[in-house]
Amino acid sequence: MHVPPLIEDMARKFSGKLLLKSELNISEQRLNYLIKNGYILEIPSIQTKFTLHKCLRCFNMKPSYFGKIPHHPKPIIYCKQCIQMGRTSTLEPLYQWTGPKPTRHYPKNPLKWRGNLTHLQQRASTQLVKTIQQNDRLLIDAVCGAGKTEMLYEGITHAIQYNKRICLATPRSDVVKELAPRLRRDFPTIHLAALYGGSPEQDINSHLVIATTHQLLRYERSFDVMIVDEVDAFPYHHDKMLPKAVRRATKPDSATIYLTATPRFKQKWLINTNQLPTVSIPARYHGHPLPIPSKQMLFRLTKQLEDGQLPAKITQWIDTKQANRRFLLFVPTITLAEQLATKLDLPYVHAESPERHHLIQQFRTQSISALITTTILERGVTFPSIDVAVIQADHHVFDEAALIQIAGRAGRSAQDPTGDVTFFYEQTTEAVNRATTYAIRKNLEAKGRSS
Amino acid sequence: MNCYICQNSTEPDTTWATFLVTKSRLICDDCEQLLPTISGPTCPICMKPTHDAKKCPDCHKWSEHFTKDPLKRNISLYRYTPEMKSIMSRFKYRGDYEIIHAFESAIQSTYKTHFSDHQTIIPIPLHPSRQQQRLFNQAEAIVQKLYQPYHTNILARQDNAKQSKKSRYERITSLNPFTITENPPDKILLIDDIYTTGTTLRQAADLLTNYGAKSVESFTLIRS
Repeated sequence: MHVPPLIEDMARKFSGKLLLKSELNISEQRLNYLIKNGYILEIPSIQTKFTLHKCLRCFNMKPSYFGKIPHHPKPIIYCKQCIQMGRTSTLEPLYQWTGPKPTRHYPKNPLKWRGNLTHLQQRASTQLVKTIQQNDRLLIDAVCGAGKTEMLYEGITHAIQYNKRICLATPRSDVVKELAPRLRRDFPTIHLAALYGGSPEQDINSHLVIATTHQLLRYERSFDVMIVDEVDAFPYHHDKMLPKAVRRATKPDSATIYLTATPRFKQKWLINTNQLPTVSIPARYHGHPLPIPSKQMLFRLTKQLEDGQLPAKITQWIDTKQANRRFLLFVPTITLAEQLATKLDLPYVHAESPERHHLIQQFRTQSISALITTTILERGVTFPSIDVAVIQADHHVFDEAALIQIAGRAGRSAQDPTGDVTFFYEQTTEAVNRATTYAIRKNLEAKGRSS
Repeated sequence: MNCYICQNSTEPDTTWATFLVTKSRLICDDCEQLLPTISGPTCPICMKPTHDAKKCPDCHKWSEHFTKDPLKRNISLYRYTPEMKSIMSRFKYRGDYEIIHAFESAIQSTYKTHFSDHQTIIPIPLHPSRQQQRLFNQAEAIVQKLYQPYHTNILARQDNAKQSKKSRYERITSLNPFTITENPPDKILLIDDIYTTGTTLRQAADLLTNYGAKSVESFTLIRS
């Protein structure tokens, strides 16, 4: 069937999405024509049942998250939860493309990367391809620094060759920004869109979409392969909305792959009851064992920090590192970060610091040698050859997953596979112990696998 | 109750006062601290913060421009800090109407201290097409918090361009976007969301004085 070029063009832009009028960005006249001829379906965005409202974009049902605008003859109800993505309200419906599906040209050999996978990576990679073929689900439980991204390449290549649309979703925008250039370099001929809040890119029927999980609220039945990176990370594992958004964004027949280094209780339950096929990768890509955190219990640490003093053990650690190593210093709170920064004369970053990206970039390019940080740098970022220390590792923000991820920042490069990880704390917590045994257990598991 | 600005709970600490005060709070403590009220010496005309509480250079220029400044004085509530900017962009451009509830008591008390009841209140109108897109007029939203009668049929707007997208020069030299549809009363209080260069308010004030208004004052939420 011949499709007029204008319709084909719009199918590319709108297919598989739930968009607002402002996001469609077409004239009123054209929109009315498309609706009348069945190309676009108008869906009310706020559903009301027995005075309870539901936002059909973000699944919000909390009464406190709905607002009212006075209007004649009836007040307008709007959703406040997803208002950052444009307002949905009783007068602002969502639009869905119901016209012909867009066609896509796909390259035969999209992968330019010519590296080798380790034995363990290869196993996961083969399993991944099989999952994509069978439209199944899979969890890859790989330690930090296992080379998860490279493991995905074979699967992505396979999916593209079979004209499948892929989404690589992650809760964190930092991860999107780090992954997109790497995948662009290794798949130079495919159409790739990196989407996060404030990103300048647009997904026009791309082969591969790398997006934050929030961006998936704009999609419906769009992807054949959904890869969710860091499933256990905030805010994905806290939020009921995001898993729903991920599920809606996938087609009914599709493969879903979860990646994590630190499965939470929910995932562990699914693994142990055999509800979710799993591959475990206990070793890093360079084959060296995970650094085992050394535990330093310090008497009256909290009190000393409150008084603005730093225990001698910590200053010693910093002094020895400052001589010849680069390091990250993790602290639980922004106030403590500020306090230590002035005391030690080091730069610091936290989620709201304005120079966040600039400082991280400087640390990456080695123009600064040390950085104080809150948990924002706990995952998704790779700096070669660094040491890490956690001050007040017994603080409640450092749960098991956070400490494992932090320990996973050290010894990432093959040239310098060892790194020092030290936890400073006052009281031993379960998280501290578990993070330590995690490294020992994974190292043992890796040894067992290779022999 | 949830904070109208950040959506977090505004549940205050339980003290003995909890038994005495039943009114629920509209904004949380964190957001309240962020709101930058104007304090210290300001220009008596436009309320721009100055060192010596004298008429600022901009207002001198306006007096020269019009030979007599049509705007008698302006009263504003807050400064335009980065936090305020993000609150306003959420309110105006994202369209989170209910943010205005957070300013209710501040708007009412400022109105009471500075203005009298025999002024006719006119919110600065929005172009009909923009109003249709936004579904509300931000100036009217502020006026509604005063619970006073107001007039929307005296002034009308023709030009459709956003002020915030223009440069200072473009704003000051732009043609008057307003038209008069009814004879104005003597004493007028104009209401708008932001005073930036003061062009919009002065264009409206100029037109109103030309058609017979005796005094025009203005009340804006923000002095940028």
